[in-house]
Order: sequence, then C-alpha cells, then structure tokens
Amino acid sequence: MKARLMTREVLPFFASLGALAIGALLIDGVLHLLKLVWIGRYIGILGTLLILMSFRYSLRKRKLIQSGNPAKLLRLHERIAWLGSLLVLVHAGIHFNAILGWLAILAMLVNVASGLTGKYLLERSRRRIAEVRAGLERQGIPPEEFDEKTYWDSLTFDAVKQWRIVHFPISLAFAVLALAHILSVFLFWGWK
Amino acid sequence: MKRRWGLLIIALNLAGLIGLVFYYPHLMISPGALIEGHRDLATDCFACHSPWRGATSERCESCHAVADIGLRTTLGVPLPKRGLKISFHQELIEENCVACHSDHLGPKITASDRRPFSHALLRPAIRDRCASCHASPTDRLHRQITGNCQQCHSNERWKPATFEHGKFFVLDADHDTTCVTCHTGNNYESYTCYGCHEHTPARVLAEHREEGVRNIDDCVECHRSAEGETEGRGGRDED
Repeated sequence: MKARLMTREVLPFFASLGALAIGALLIDGVLHLLKLVWIGRYIGILGTLLILMSFRYSLRKRKLIQSGNPAKLLRLHERIAWLGSLLVLVHAGIHFNAILGWLAILAMLVNVASGLTGKYLLERSRRRIAEVRAGLERQGIPPEEFDEKTYWDSLTFDAVKQWRIVHFPISLAFAVLALAHILSVFLFWGWK
Repeated sequence: MKRRWGLLIIALNLAGLIGLVFYYPHLMISPGALIEGHRDLATDCFACHSPWRGATSERCESCHAVADIGLRTTLGVPLPKRGLKISFHQELIEENCVACHSDHLGPKITASDRRPFSHALLRPAIRDRCASCHASPTDRLHRQITGNCQQCHSNERWKPATFEHGKFFVLDADHDTTCVTCHTGNNYESYTCYGCHEHTPARVLAEHREEGVRNIDDCVECHRSAEGETEGRGGRDED
C-alpha cells in the first residue's frame, strides 16, 4: 500500500483554490455581461461580513467564547470564509488600481491558501501516514523500514506543515489592510 | 519567542504600509490616476474630497464656476468657440458633477461602466431644442427636414434612427421624391398620396369602389410599396 498524498490531498487543495479563482472570474463575467458591475462594489461588504462571521471559530478555538460545537464551527469557518473570500475577490474585480487593495487581496489569498492547507493537507495526511504505517505493520515489514517506505509522504507532510504557521499572522495582516481599505473608502467616497 | 518576533515583524511592516498611505496616497489608495488637468492634485485628496462625504459638487464649483464652464477657464480667460457646446452645463436640472465626471482614470475594462452624459439632465425647455448644442446634418435627407429631430432619433443616441421608412412604405424608383411631397408642411405624423398627379382621390375611389373599399385616406394600410397589393391590414368596409 502506497500513500498518494499528491493525488488525494494536494490536488484537492489546489482544486479548492482554483475553484475560488474560476468562481470569481465567472461571477465577474456574468456581472459584466448583465451590465451589473456596480453590484461588485457592494458584494465586498457581504464578503467581509461573511469572513467576520467565520471568526467565531477562531474565538471559540482560543476559548474567548464558550458557546458552539468546535467541530461544527470549524466546518462553518471553512465554508463561509471561502464564500466570503470569493465575494471579496469578485468585489476586487480583477482590475486593481491601488496598492493597498492589491496587498489586502494578496493577504486574503495567502490566508485562504494557508487555511486550505490545514483543511486538506495536514489533518488528512497525518491520518494517511498513520494508515500507511499500520498497513506496513500488517504486512510484517519491520518498523525500522517504515521511514524509508514513507519517505516522500513524510517529506511532503513536513513541507506543508510550515504553511499553517502563517495562517494567524496573515489573518492579522489581512484584517489591518482590509480595515485600512474600508476606512479609506468611507473617508473619500460619498455614501448617498 | 520565535512566534512573538514574527508577529512583531509583521506588525512593523503593516505600520510601515499604513504610513505609506499618507505619503503616497495616489499610489496606495487612489482608484486611478487623475486626469491631465488635475494631475497636480494627485497627492492632495482633500482638494476635491470632503472627509466622509466624497467628492462634492461644491468643491468642484469652488474652481469651476458653472456660469463659466465652456466659456472661460478657471482663471477667467475666455475660451475659443468649439464645435461641441460645453456651455450646456448652464442648462442642467441639478449640479451633480460626479454623476458624469470621474476624474480618476480607472482601467480600460471598467471605462464602459461609467455613466455617460444624459439628456435627461437638461432642463425640459432646452431638452428638445437639439440645435442649441448640435449642428443639423447637411445631407440631402436632413436638409429637407425642419421638424424636431426626435421624430426619428432618440435622446439616447443618434444612430440607429428609430424610423425605418420601408416598414411603412418602400421608397422605390417611382417614389424617389422629396419628403414634403407626401409629408406636406414637414409634418411627419401624417402623409398624403394625393400630392402626385398619378393619384387623385377621384381616380383612386373609382378603382377601389368595386372592391368595397371606401376609406381611401390611409393608402399604406393596404399598400406598403408601389407593387404591393393589400400587404397591410386592409381598408375594406365592414358594413
């Protein structure tokens, strides 16, 4: 039995990230086609609210709030943060002008990527390596050969493990940049 | 400890980025480069924007007096006359500069999303007086017409003209004549076929009586071309 981290875990990870890009392009294309581009301006507000709602899991995880099932909140966190990011990406609308907006989007995308790393790669690959080792044990292979047999999987696992480290700091960067963007919009745009 | 240092470095970088917003607002937060005439204001956002209120018309008018637009520069120097009469600005129903003008040049991809000038913004009294801003076309057809342009053209755009003569009556070689032959008095809401020696009421009535047609005033109701025989709705009396 051989572990296939690349095909079973890495590819779904990229598929989820790719779906975000393709989904944003499709929605943006439809808005342009229907001459409803103005909606993109307000869709950012909805996206930001969804992302803010997803932080409930982060607060629960750090025990800043006590209510809610952590496992359910994590699933909710993954889904609405992805959806909120999709809407923010549509709001950005592919055509960037200001560097601050660029940086906020970049931070958001790194954030999504690091979150998906946690979702797709770390948890499942940890489980899969354990399964592979159990399989090797059942086949009567001596434990000292396990490391050699699972060398590439372990290497991939260690590499992706580094990604999750950036999830919280990049969330902070995204929050600050997005806040600066929102403040500048309120300061200079006429809300009528 | 390592994590704390990491967070500190990120916090310092973010503070630096926010600092750049104040020094380089035209790069960091501006939605696009300013138009040529306002390029000097690139780093002075509050020259046009009122805090929390956006770019207000009052700010624009502090330099561009409505009464002077198209007539004098912001320094009071008279402008030479141009083809397009910019002085229509004096005839607008409301002074809302940003409804049409965006001084930030966004990317080309969004250029078509900007709101163009609308004739609906003009005072009703001047809205229908096209010639007060536009020169009349000098081609053969338009030279004959003295009526309102809106009989055929919409305020939205000049082309396509909404009127297709062939739908009502095909102007073939036998009917290649001036508009006023049929539309007497330049009135395009009515027509007559009896302006031509070929068609007289007596001859037409005699020819149609045996068919049971007594209404001979609206010929195109049946005849949509010189060749056509009852292509239209028909004018036969029901009684």
